[in-house]
Amino acid sequence: MNNITIGQYIPGDSWLHRLDPRIKLLSLVILLVGTFIIPISTEWIPIASMLGIFVGVIILTATAGIPLKKVINGLRPIVFLLTFTFLIQLFFISDGKLLTTFDFHLSLTSVIAIILIIMFYHWSKKYIKFKILYFLFTVALVFFAQYMLPYVLNFYNYQLNIYDQGLIRAGFIFVRITNVIIMTSLLTFTTMTTDLNYAIESLLKPLKWIKVPVDVIAMMLSLTLRYIPTLLGETEKIMKAQASRGVDFKESKFKDKVVQIISLLIPVFVISFKRAEDLGNAMEVRGYIIGAKRTKIDEYRIGFADIASLVIITLFLAALIVGRILG
Amino acid sequence: MGIQFKDVSYAYRGLKVNYDAIGHITLDIKAEGEFIAVVGHTGSGKSTLVQHMNALLLPTKGNVVIFGQNLPPKKNEKINYLRQKVGLVFQFPEYQLFEETILKDIMFGPKNFKSTEAEAMLKAKRAASIVGIEESLLEQSPFRISGGQMRRVAVAGILAMEPEILVLDEPTRGLDPKGRKDLMAIFKEIHEKENKTIIMITHDMDLVAEYAKRVIVLDNGLLVYDGPKETLFDHPQFEQFHLDRPTSLKILKHLEKEIGIPYQAKYDYTSLLDYLKEVSHE
Repeated sequence: MNNITIGQYIPGDSWLHRLDPRIKLLSLVILLVGTFIIPISTEWIPIASMLGIFVGVIILTATAGIPLKKVINGLRPIVFLLTFTFLIQLFFISDGKLLTTFDFHLSLTSVIAIILIIMFYHWSKKYIKFKILYFLFTVALVFFAQYMLPYVLNFYNYQLNIYDQGLIRAGFIFVRITNVIIMTSLLTFTTMTTDLNYAIESLLKPLKWIKVPVDVIAMMLSLTLRYIPTLLGETEKIMKAQASRGVDFKESKFKDKVVQIISLLIPVFVISFKRAEDLGNAMEVRGYIIGAKRTKIDEYRIGFADIASLVIITLFLAALIVGRILG
Repeated sequence: MGIQFKDVSYAYRGLKVNYDAIGHITLDIKAEGEFIAVVGHTGSGKSTLVQHMNALLLPTKGNVVIFGQNLPPKKNEKINYLRQKVGLVFQFPEYQLFEETILKDIMFGPKNFKSTEAEAMLKAKRAASIVGIEESLLEQSPFRISGGQMRRVAVAGILAMEPEILVLDEPTRGLDPKGRKDLMAIFKEIHEKENKTIIMITHDMDLVAEYAKRVIVLDNGLLVYDGPKETLFDHPQFEQFHLDRPTSLKILKHLEKEIGIPYQAKYDYTSLLDYLKEVSHE
């Protein structure tokens, strides 16, 4: 329950925390566009700029005082995706210079070895601290087994030809996805949801001219974000209460699990409706009228640092675009 | 048997640091005949403490022994059965109701602990009659009754599991005076008739004075007092516990100061009234 890192604000007082939320959001969008503008190629300029962004975001993370461990935890859900895109790129791109060739064998021995490795991985992963590294190590081990064990009933052979293009492209995509995730989580790590909400509202303001209720959308968004931890807390409480009545969410059979999930869902459903009603009343007695003009308790002012960072980011984007056109 | 705490600490995992919710608690709770009140101001670790009593939380340091089962458990050791032996009623337990009918909801607990349908039905009906839910209500939806009744149904849901020890986390919170009195009368009856140990968290010192036999005081996660209620209110360090005195004792103190009626500890209104009558007749 407490492992949800995306969208989790980490209090701090770094320059990244103090940056105006509008500028931060805008910069993120520009950086994301920039990351995707860089063409995948083996030229040195795109590689250098991609690696430059990577080093840049790592430096940003360090200066923002965000523990690197938190950032890596944010990558955890996409480790599978990363690994498989990497492997697929490696297998299917056959341009450029041939670097090395591996002969892989699917035989009785290697298949058994693979099954054993996977079983061992599932059994042992709860004792390992660096889960991501361990996962990558297991993937490597699976291929190593296919390479080393061609014995008994060798029914399928295939070759892995690693070309320099393939390696670079695979690495390129790997770094690109990593960059995107780190950048996005950096925004949520350093920006409170209320600030983020303000930024969204403010940047979407032009849509008001075509009668889009921007402020209502922004309010809904902020309330949703605000209530995620609350509802998680309630869920945990109900889970404990039902556990006291003998529900065992971990060890029971599938048939029992259905009833147990219901015993969790209905109370949480009831509570969220009750909360929504209370909140609606509380907002109404404090004078909330949909669409009415409201003032903010915090005024945001664009300072020198904000303008400077926006200018730098924009120049960076311009440089990337120029690089793309020239390249 | 019963529950033993041996130098138990529990730390919640924070973002950067872990902070102790309770620390170095050593307790011995018998399986029979105790009525314990756990008091202490908000954030003193009361809820964390009682959640150790049915293994919902496992100590990060030290050991809890519940009916001979050592906690934290060894690998693959099942602990779910302990929750039948120690029934825990949470704060605002009415939120845990979910079934179509009241009867089914009360039966949920016993059925999870391997009672057959018929047994569970029997236990549920017995529990419902203990908390005073009429037979005619049993087929109704638990969401259609009043808040006070919902709470009783929730309590019956725990009682139906026939626990040997009953743990209550602020059972009377949010109830009106009559509802509070009725509910406490139910617990008192369970305690007296079946000699069951009851452990109760409360902020209401009047309830402590009237019902509890033994009081555990927590302050900032540390156990600062564990003993009979009679010695608690005259404890030399009472002021440091951040507690209030019960109304009956306040009245008696006041009467002693103002009109010289000799102070004698009386813990409920009936005995207070009797005492005053006795004094005035002399």
